[in-house]
Amino acid sequence: MQTLESEPQPESSGRPLVVTLVALLALTLISWAISHLDLGMASTLVALAIASTKAGFVLHAFMELPLAATPARVVVIVTLSFIALLCAGTVTDVALR
Amino acid sequence: MTEVIYSDPRQRTHALHLGMWMFLGSETLLFAGLFGLYASYRAEFPSEFAVGVAHNNALIGTANTAVLIISSFFVAWGVHSIRGSRRRPCMISLGVAVLLGLTFLVLKSIEYTEHLRAGLAPGAHFSSTMLPARGFALFYTLYFVMTGLHALHVVAGITILTWLAIRVRRGRTRRDHRTELELGGLYWHLVDIVWIFLWPLLYLTHR
Repeated sequence: MQTLESEPQPESSGRPLVVTLVALLALTLISWAISHLDLGMASTLVALAIASTKAGFVLHAFMELPLAATPARVVVIVTLSFIALLCAGTVTDVALR
Repeated sequence: MTEVIYSDPRQRTHALHLGMWMFLGSETLLFAGLFGLYASYRAEFPSEFAVGVAHNNALIGTANTAVLIISSFFVAWGVHSIRGSRRRPCMISLGVAVLLGLTFLVLKSIEYTEHLRAGLAPGAHFSSTMLPARGFALFYTLYFVMTGLHALHVVAGITILTWLAIRVRRGRTRRDHRTELELGGLYWHLVDIVWIFLWPLLYLTHR
């Protein structure tokens, strides 16, 4: 969200927001339906993959990350890197138990 | 004061947005620590966690997911409206988002009541005879900590959105003051994202 105060903005369409809402609700339905399938351990990975996709949609369309200034995007990248580090540490810990 | 510090409105807007993104980053890492704890304990007690997930009310969890996603859309729509100087649609959008946030909390409290009646309380208060193992107690402790912390964020978000809606209604948030709406919106969307990950881990992954 990078609009600047006192700076006239061209009127944008709200269509991407509606499309994103429909996509998010569809993915929620898919996630719920898949939870009824017996995928074993893969069910958690599939559920998290769908959740990540949904989070990506929210970041992209609702939070307008692509329009954010570079320092803000760096903050997001650093945060995601720390989470990746945490995931790697947790997986390593579990694997070496 | 801000006018003194920032001679250029662009600088102020950039600084406010960067500050909010940094705050959201720290919030994300707070929840990430809890997700890491969840993953670690789930690896240690896989069957107890799976049964715990299956025991949760997936209908309420799923309804709450839809509620937060739709509320997030309305907040985004509110920001979109104020950019077009449409105060009334903005105010209505924020109002709907607040109502949906309250709906989320009502559904959550119904669920909490069900759990507490069954003795599925956090920590030393866990007294369920139906699910007696230590893994179940850990699952419900994490469940209450993660969803409780998230619920506190929902309460904060509702407060912020209500304040913004009142300002829009009073005409204090004009098109050239939309930054505060954008920042409030960013916070609410993060609350939505956290739930997007909590939902499958606490309600769906029971296999």
